[in-house]
Amino acid sequence: MEPRGVGRDARAAVITTLAFVTAVALLPPGSYLALLLAWLLLAFAGALLGISPGHLARRGLIALPFVVAAVPIVFLRSDELLWAGTIGPISLQVSGAGLRIALTALLKAWISVQASVLLLALASPPSIVTALRRMRLPDVIATSAGLTIRYLELLRDEARRMLRARTARSASPVGVGRERIGGTIAWRARTTGSLVGSLFLRAYSRAQRIEEAAASRGATGSLSIGTMPAADSRLTLKVIGVLLLVLALTLAGALLPRL
Amino acid sequence: MYPQLHIPDGFLSPQVSLVLWVATAVLIGIAVRKTSRTDVRLAASQPILMGVLGAFIFAAQMFNFPVATGTSGHLLGGVLAGYLLGPWAGTIVMATVIGIQALLFQDGGLLVLGANIFNMGVIGTLGGSFVARGIGTTLGGSRPATILGAGIAAWLAVVAAAGFTTLQLGLSGTTNVAVGLPAMLGVHALIGVGEALITVAALTFIAQTAPDILSGVSAPRKASPVRRLATGVVIAGGVATLASFFASADPDGLEAVAEELGFLDAGLSAPFELFPDYTIPGLDGTASTVVAGLLGMIVVIGVLIALGRLARSRTKS
Repeated sequence: MEPRGVGRDARAAVITTLAFVTAVALLPPGSYLALLLAWLLLAFAGALLGISPGHLARRGLIALPFVVAAVPIVFLRSDELLWAGTIGPISLQVSGAGLRIALTALLKAWISVQASVLLLALASPPSIVTALRRMRLPDVIATSAGLTIRYLELLRDEARRMLRARTARSASPVGVGRERIGGTIAWRARTTGSLVGSLFLRAYSRAQRIEEAAASRGATGSLSIGTMPAADSRLTLKVIGVLLLVLALTLAGALLPRL
Repeated sequence: MYPQLHIPDGFLSPQVSLVLWVATAVLIGIAVRKTSRTDVRLAASQPILMGVLGAFIFAAQMFNFPVATGTSGHLLGGVLAGYLLGPWAGTIVMATVIGIQALLFQDGGLLVLGANIFNMGVIGTLGGSFVARGIGTTLGGSRPATILGAGIAAWLAVVAAAGFTTLQLGLSGTTNVAVGLPAMLGVHALIGVGEALITVAALTFIAQTAPDILSGVSAPRKASPVRRLATGVVIAGGVATLASFFASADPDGLEAVAEELGFLDAGLSAPFELFPDYTIPGLDGTASTVVAGLLGMIVVIGVLIALGRLARSRTKS
């Protein structure tokens, strides 16, 4: 789907996303009902933009692997023991409080990812950079971020082609009979490092060409301000609306029963 | 898939997130002032180079190499960016890359973006680059010496970033530091080797293929012997202090848990121990740990000086 709002002031969308994510982060552990409310809000907003809740939910799964970081707390806290026993030589305990913390973190991550998926559906990457520039992001960062986004796919494509060429020419590290082929680890690392080095050289010479082209057109080192879209005239109103929403969500977290 | 350093939203408490946002904003602000303070022509061309090299770092993170079946070596690229662009500009580039990863690819959260930039950008890139420079000048400042310094710093940067990530998760109450820290440091000590190898290989390739570019973007520095020794001592002292946090002999996190869970006996002790439990026999307590740390520091400096001699004699021949 083509992102909407290209060439529009995306500040309201950026502020809404940040405020929503902050409100979700502020919810205390175990506030599953408030988290459900937050997700329903997202699903509703997504439906308005033509994104199905199922698609949104699947996109949210990207943050799941990080839950590994919260696993120790499930087994190492000793409050509200749900289960304790031994598996073979190891004695284990499962803490209810630890489980609640891990599950809440997981749900928060899942919901927050979906919020930034919605942001991208509302605003194109360049309009997000423009919005951040309007919100006083330093010029050096905004300009280099804009250029990074512009050349990202180009260099990633180049990297993909280099990787494909490497795969085509070199064997897998472990052969059929588990014999080692394709060199030592140091050799493999050196080959990969050389690829990275030559990608740098290509990127560097591209940067030089861009510089020359830009200089010949009288560039000053900053993306032209003239391309900025008109400021959102109802921004204040929208921000107040967003803050009320965030307040409601935080209140819901405080008032709704927790498990 | 490997345990990554991009923290998603929800895993850090709002308090920890906000404190790290403030710290990151201050340091990035300093970086912006440092990079803007150049002559006009350079000031005009620098954002272009930084922007394109940001895209390069992005693409370079795709490169991996198989270590064993199922696991692979990766590149984060912080120290590499710092070497190619200078510590401050490299930090801005990494901060931009991490920000774009969060905004456009949902790789890492938005409220915790400050923390992610702090760990990988400030600690991993700014800190890493200064450590790289320090080691490079200590080793004599020749090109191979600075590249070796970048390699060592690349390893340290990944391990330190992993350590800071775990401490922040611990402060937020999302993980148990006593178990999480050794696990994260252990895993990233391995991942860091991949980072170091790729960084060294990439810089060596660039130095051999286009030495003029490298001398343009980061000239090797000549430092006086006194300054060189001073940097060396400061860095080694820093590393020793950092290490003593992790190496404290009394109730070590993992050991404490292992004792509790009853599998300590199953743990193998090292085949030989110079300083058992980081203490000197005959001394006790803190003093002993400090003396062991200082001795370790002297050994490290000795090894560095020897490596420097080796690197210099290789460039001469």
